[in-house]
Amino acid sequence: MNENGKKLYEKVKRNVEVSQEEGTLEKQFGNFWKFACTIKTRQHDLKYLYEDSSREFVDQNRENLVKMRVDFVDHMESYVEQCIEIMRKKNFIVYYAKTNEEAQKIFMQELGDAKIIYKSKSTEAKDIGIIDVLKKNEIKIKETDLGDVLVQLFEYKLPSFQVGPGAHFTEEEIANKIKEIYGIELEPKAQAIVDYFRNTYRNELLNDVKISLTSANAISAEDGTIVLGENEGNISLITRATEKHIVVCGITKIVPTIFDAILVTKLQSRINNVSFNYISLISGPSNTSDIQGTSVQGMYGAKEVVVILVDDWRTKAARENLIYQDFLKCIGCKSCIYPCTASRAFGNIYASKYGLGATAIIRDYIHNGIEAAVNDGLFLCTGCENCYHWCPVSINCSEILKDMKKEATEKGLAPPHLEQYKEKIFKDKNPFL
Amino acid sequence: MTKLIYLGCLSKTRYQETCKNAIKIINYLDPNYTVLDDVPCCGALSYHIGSDMELKDHVEYVNNWFELNDVSEIVTICAGCYNYLTKYYSQFIGKDFKVKVKHFLQFLAEPENLSKLDLKYSGKNLKVSYHDACHLRNAVIPILEEPRQILNSIENIEVREMENNKTNSICCGAGGGVYSIFKENSDYNSKLIFDQLKRGKILLTACPFCFTALTRIREEYQIKKSVIKFEDFIVNIMEGADPLNE
Repeated sequence: MNENGKKLYEKVKRNVEVSQEEGTLEKQFGNFWKFACTIKTRQHDLKYLYEDSSREFVDQNRENLVKMRVDFVDHMESYVEQCIEIMRKKNFIVYYAKTNEEAQKIFMQELGDAKIIYKSKSTEAKDIGIIDVLKKNEIKIKETDLGDVLVQLFEYKLPSFQVGPGAHFTEEEIANKIKEIYGIELEPKAQAIVDYFRNTYRNELLNDVKISLTSANAISAEDGTIVLGENEGNISLITRATEKHIVVCGITKIVPTIFDAILVTKLQSRINNVSFNYISLISGPSNTSDIQGTSVQGMYGAKEVVVILVDDWRTKAARENLIYQDFLKCIGCKSCIYPCTASRAFGNIYASKYGLGATAIIRDYIHNGIEAAVNDGLFLCTGCENCYHWCPVSINCSEILKDMKKEATEKGLAPPHLEQYKEKIFKDKNPFL
Repeated sequence: MTKLIYLGCLSKTRYQETCKNAIKIINYLDPNYTVLDDVPCCGALSYHIGSDMELKDHVEYVNNWFELNDVSEIVTICAGCYNYLTKYYSQFIGKDFKVKVKHFLQFLAEPENLSKLDLKYSGKNLKVSYHDACHLRNAVIPILEEPRQILNSIENIEVREMENNKTNSICCGAGGGVYSIFKENSDYNSKLIFDQLKRGKILLTACPFCFTALTRIREEYQIKKSVIKFEDFIVNIMEGADPLNE
């Protein structure tokens, strides 16, 4: 174990202590998260709506989903080509960015001299580094998902739950915060808080958005349709009432057919207990041919839809059989987070800036290396493989993390006790003596 | 040809009574099974912290030891050893690994063994719950039905499934060497397992790692329900003793 390893170990140890200490933000988040995960793991999910549990729904579809994703990864390049070709025919402005840096550059060009951008929730935008580059260029990021709006309001810097980023704030805390910042006294009730944002923010979203940013739940290669699911209507507003809608996502968001895209979106909704009251299928910019059959873009909806498909680590992972190659199959459903032993126990200290749990740590490893992953709590993973058992496309995050732990150990970054175990196994042939 | 009872480092070092019980049961069913001295560690705990070279060297060392002692079959009472021996040995040394490995539960669940055991609980109807250990449910050949077959074969024993069972089971939080560093993981998750033990009076486990974590939490929270290792439970039933009297 080297100096760096020692420092990282101490840091994670401190994080763990903080996460167990009453009154800390980490503990507060942990309590909320334990509750959320337990409900999910016990499959108490939307039983009033469906006869089957989400796990049963996943089990029913797993075989086909795995086949679909394996086929996609095996033929990634041709699916990307097919998708881009049809999208261009449908008047999308499409870019294929080889790297995150290239994507960021294209994004800034497309932004022009705009100084403000409205966005929906997006792990992909974080993965591609768009958020960092916007901050660097002092572009004002206006979140539109209420959870993210709250996270911004609280200036909450710790990782939070990607699906409900503000779900750990209590009604009282939110009402107090609104009073502190806007001087408005609200009844500390969810309805009053929602009404407040509806009254103050909805008009802005309907009238002022010039450029909006979303990712995609899935994109179908056969017809270049972008699928976006949501509850609040924020995505519907900012993708229609805008001049330019920019979609940024990794090429792995592509699936072969529109049916696959819908199934993936449906899965995301079932797994996360969100009902996706609105599902948008976007197949190009707003258009009319009502005047003499002449096709004109930009009737009421977005005049331009720009799609930036990013490769960065993806083709490389497939070609070079990298340890996270299996992660290419990921459909971003988050099913691996809820049953994760470490996530349940450690909440947002077993996480990275990309979100909670193993996949967020894998993303950090891909972009920032093994030290970042150790710092995120890599060694808190028990290897229980619950992530694998719940995954609708059978990705074994646990195995990927094992390989990452190996790399960490080779670089002297494993916790001291594990080093001792290793010594005892290889030398004394019994780690418990 | 040696038929080896592979106890596993943790059981051998910390749970000698359980080892004795396991040997008693296995030898009752097949006296040809034997225990050898200086059995090397399978290496399970090193998998995620050793380099491929170190791991392969260790696997070869253990395999040579098996060959030297003419080991052809193994029954192991350790969930971790079962998972590791069956999954990773052939991965590292391919067909050179010729030992037939069974877990204690598989061995017990063989029909001729179950009928030879012919287990009966002398008391009134006893409700037990079985905790599926990760090592057993994640193995190349997962062990899911065997413990249930064994328990269901015992007269007056009723299996009460946990809410999360089989491949859905909750990990005790002690795996991957995490127990030695951050016990906070098992603090929460082991307690969660007990919380699911609604009607079962006894929590049975076939994994010494789970047993260690669960026992600690049981003591810490002064939980009245018992945690018993599968081997100990079976011996109690065989000998007509009450498994509830620890």
